[in-house]
Amino acid sequence: MEAIRRLFRPPMLEVSVMVLTLIVSYAAIFLISIGAEAPAGGMSTMQIGVISLGFFLLSFAIAVIAVIAGIGGGVLFTPIMLAFTSVDSLIVRATGLIVAMFSGLVSTGPFMRSGLANLRVSVLLAASYGVGAFAGAMAAIKVASSLGAAGEGAVRMALGAILAGLGVYFIMGGKKLEWPEVKNVDGFTKSLNLGLPFYERSIGKVVDYPMTRAGWTMLIITGVGLLSGFFGLGAGWAIVPVQNLVMAVPLKVAAANSGVLLGMGDCIAVWPYLLSGAIIPLFAAPWLVGQVLGGILGAKLLAGIKAGFVRIILIGIMFFTSFGLVAKGLNVFGAAPPVPFWLNATVFFSILAWVIFAVRRFNKQEAATAAAAA
Amino acid sequence: MERTETLRMPAMPISQIVYGEIVYWITIAAAIVCTVGPALALIFMDSNVMDPSFTFGAIFAGKSASDVWALSQTGGFPGGHFYVSNLLTGDGFTQFGLALGCGVALPGLLGATIAFAKSKSFGFVVLSLWVAALIFFSASGVVSMH
Repeated sequence: MEAIRRLFRPPMLEVSVMVLTLIVSYAAIFLISIGAEAPAGGMSTMQIGVISLGFFLLSFAIAVIAVIAGIGGGVLFTPIMLAFTSVDSLIVRATGLIVAMFSGLVSTGPFMRSGLANLRVSVLLAASYGVGAFAGAMAAIKVASSLGAAGEGAVRMALGAILAGLGVYFIMGGKKLEWPEVKNVDGFTKSLNLGLPFYERSIGKVVDYPMTRAGWTMLIITGVGLLSGFFGLGAGWAIVPVQNLVMAVPLKVAAANSGVLLGMGDCIAVWPYLLSGAIIPLFAAPWLVGQVLGGILGAKLLAGIKAGFVRIILIGIMFFTSFGLVAKGLNVFGAAPPVPFWLNATVFFSILAWVIFAVRRFNKQEAATAAAAA
Repeated sequence: MERTETLRMPAMPISQIVYGEIVYWITIAAAIVCTVGPALALIFMDSNVMDPSFTFGAIFAGKSASDVWALSQTGGFPGGHFYVSNLLTGDGFTQFGLALGCGVALPGLLGATIAFAKSKSFGFVVLSLWVAALIFFSASGVVSMH
């Protein structure tokens, strides 16, 4: 009885409505496709329905992985699509921005209600992030229209390098502080009155935290926005450490702010893509829906999974995708032939071996920690 | 400066709640529209701006966005706000969902602006309006390369 009652309470109420709509929609598509023939040179309704459902499921999976690993979905979507499909890079990056922003948008409500995210900090940083992201999106459209195949190759190779760098950064762990220490609050930050106490469940107390260097953070976030808007990546991987290390925002608050900020800031960056036709409605819509449902359900369903375990797999995916991007970029440039199957397989199995080794080491460490605690 | 810990949770600023609720519920609405839209596009295949049968093939063939839109009934991209005159078509309705979701922060920020003004946080009134203006200009295409 309680389970049924829970279905009619937020967030399960809206999730139920969305799932029901999804089931009815795809059932209608597959029913209508029975007996329907494809036009000459085109796809059948069934084929399109399967592709669309596949996109939704992939987006849902990306959202779930991204939620557990604490990154934005764009970091996975954009490089994978650019490395392993022939889809035009501008279409991929435009859709990547949709993927990056919607898991953030849907998490905005709960974060705001709980006070974990700080609207004042988010608005302050969005004011500078938005300028950078908009300029980045405009630059992406300009590069795509003026550089042609060379631009396609350059974008793939640059993204491959960024992704490999991110993979190394994730391996090193990234220096982050749960509760950064603030020795001095500058006048500008003090005048903004940014503080917002929040309830920290792990210690069962309400915590008020000081912040500093808001001006410098705004400046750096403008650059982060430029990168995010240009590559359609999302930028949680950069926004969280910048807030945490420069502005001294506690780690949990920085992560929550990052989602709110991406949702808000990418509402600026996404429009140049939408207005130039780079977002194709039927292609982008299933990705949007997957992010929204995955964003809500992911955190709830898979809260028990160890984040460190997922993080190792994520690093493996990033390195393999990075290899794919550089190889594809070189191929588009005409500097290298398509990667032969044996080389793809060698790289894949080498990375897989590393993932297995890292997971085993992670499990041993977890077991040792549990034994020590017992 | 030390962080302080207490047991009593202060009341959440109304601006937080207003922004969070507006963004959350419009995002859900956009997701529902984007679920129904593609289904309508495939069920009423002839009533679309862009024929879905050829759209995915062109995208996976690596065609540019303008080449993909060249296959549409209009012979080219009809503009980002083409849903205004095509709301009853499947892809027009889907584009409406996308536009709704991509502009969701604008009403949220306007709501937060009012709440900031009521609490006399005028600095954040200005910042919220600045971000809202960026979204508005970006969405209206006033600042555009085309």
